[in-house]
Amino acid sequence: MFRAKTNDGAMLKFAAASAGLVLAILLPQQAKAVPSYARQTGLACEACHTVFPQLTPFGRVFKASGYTLSNTSKVQDVDSLKHYLMSLSDTPPVSVMAVASTSSMAKAADSQSSKTSTDFPQQFSVFYAGSISENVGAFAQVTYDDQSGTVGIDNTDIRFADVATLRGHTVIYGLSLNNNPTVQDLWNSTAAWGQPFLTSPVMAGPAASTRIEGAMAQQVAGLSGYAFLDQSIYAEAGVYRSALQGASVAQNGNLSNNVISGVAPYWRIAYEADWGQNSWELGASGLDAALQNPTTPALGAVNASLQAAPTDRFDDIGLDSQYQFITDDSQITVAGRAVREDQRLNASYPAGLAGRPSNFIDSENLVASYFWRRKIGASIGVFNVNGSSDAIYFGSQSGRPDSSWGNVEVDYLPWLNVKLGLQYTAYAKFNGATSNYNGAGRDASNNNLIFGYLWYAY
Amino acid sequence: MKNALSILAGLSLCVASNSAIAADDQTAAAASTVTKVCQNCHGPNGDSTSATFPRLNGQQADYIAAQLKNFRDHSRSDAHAMAYMWGMASQLSDATIDGLAKYLSSQKPTLAQSGGELAAEGRSIYLNGVAANNVPACGACHGPKGEGNSVIPRLAGQHASYLKSQLEAFRSLSRANDVMHANTKDMTDSEIEAVSSYLAND
Repeated sequence: MFRAKTNDGAMLKFAAASAGLVLAILLPQQAKAVPSYARQTGLACEACHTVFPQLTPFGRVFKASGYTLSNTSKVQDVDSLKHYLMSLSDTPPVSVMAVASTSSMAKAADSQSSKTSTDFPQQFSVFYAGSISENVGAFAQVTYDDQSGTVGIDNTDIRFADVATLRGHTVIYGLSLNNNPTVQDLWNSTAAWGQPFLTSPVMAGPAASTRIEGAMAQQVAGLSGYAFLDQSIYAEAGVYRSALQGASVAQNGNLSNNVISGVAPYWRIAYEADWGQNSWELGASGLDAALQNPTTPALGAVNASLQAAPTDRFDDIGLDSQYQFITDDSQITVAGRAVREDQRLNASYPAGLAGRPSNFIDSENLVASYFWRRKIGASIGVFNVNGSSDAIYFGSQSGRPDSSWGNVEVDYLPWLNVKLGLQYTAYAKFNGATSNYNGAGRDASNNNLIFGYLWYAY
Repeated sequence: MKNALSILAGLSLCVASNSAIAADDQTAAAASTVTKVCQNCHGPNGDSTSATFPRLNGQQADYIAAQLKNFRDHSRSDAHAMAYMWGMASQLSDATIDGLAKYLSSQKPTLAQSGGELAAEGRSIYLNGVAANNVPACGACHGPKGEGNSVIPRLAGQHASYLKSQLEAFRSLSRANDVMHANTKDMTDSEIEAVSSYLAND
């Protein structure tokens, strides 16, 4: 939803120095489901979503099929062999989305900061979301973000997809060109579409997170190929390269941070079983990124030449699972994941930005939600990050990157495309400690936050 | 000589199969639509795994065609019809509907898996009705084995919760059908559960 930034080092250092916080701008962010798909397909939201943005089994198939299913009249052209040259819907697949919110933190970050923030809009997005041709479709988002006051490319997933039948089995296969590892994923247990779907723009986020859980969002371009067999077995493999926004590394020679050396391979496998009104998924995914001029959770940055510079290598492997029970009256989702990131700090360690040549981060979360008739719902989530001890690299008083927190949220949807939410987040541990985590007397619970929002899409 | 013979054989095969091409085209087009579109909800060849969506394999062709036309002209307006099928059927031509109906009706139906006490009670309702609640014997129209007939649908092998939701929709008139409303208006919840259990597979 927000664009994470790599080039705002000075701003971040200021924020960190003054508050010991890394703003939510660095947290994994999500994008949304959009009504232009409903206009294109003639299907109500409930066909693809339990409650947006969580997908139903059919929603997953719609996405895997390249967002191309269409039930509108079209402007078409064919060649002499009746192959389609053009097939344009008579309804442009455009949607808008807005979020307005107000937040209150338990204790202001410092004497210069307010403990509250009201954001109107917190974000405003315009989407092209729908088919482009018979086999090509897009989810492409441009977002205005009030905290940075900028407009920029947000989550984008452009797909080619087709269906084949092999020995009685159906295979949906395709390619995804996207800008955020896991944004192309079909389940809500991976990072890009995992809970919480919306967070306060001023929520304090732990300094340490794994790369696959949003740290590379909107700074990369990836191409992956995938196959979904009998709506059950999913496999995907692809590569990512850096595609930094607002910087052209190749042309102007400016030093940029966290530039992928070569390509970063991404892979994903998953199994889904659907029976009755149940759907269960178990999957694994991974990303292996070697980054030149890496930054550290302590906000250090290597600034060497990008020609053959040493790299920090981040090898992420995650397991995830999701269970859904979906009826007209009740929509239950339980989703969780565990990610291990092994870090080989061949750039940061020699530069004195890490106390050890290698570190690791473990990240786990589990979220459950219940909705009644897609109108009233609640969710509860627990999140945990921990890792090796390295005070220089992680920048915490205790040396550890450990953070633990939970959130509860209640939602009311007067209509299926309007959500009113109230969310409370409580920290048990933040950046390595429960109390005085920054050495200046700030406790983890000082970051507890209440967040109310209005979120609509049309 | 050998080559000439095989060419001749090939040609005669072509001529023989020519007459079947038109029908094959319709079947192939319907099979393609089922694979690419319908089966996303209704399962491979109509045998759905999700109880939200009815099984269509082996369903009566006339019933499928009638329902698709009802979705298309919005004369069927229960909640799922509006949410899913109004959109899906909106651009279907009569020829496509006929092709889909024929193709799906020719698929092997799923068999009912009736068993247990509830199903035994349901069997009695299905075959004999419940005179006290003005429920006629379902089998009188839907066939002794729940196989259906023309515009009267096959029920055997359907998802239990789908059958239940449709009986409730007829009872409440959210799915408008005068005959089925008359047949279900006095049915109790437990009778609906029982007869759904008897006919269902899952």
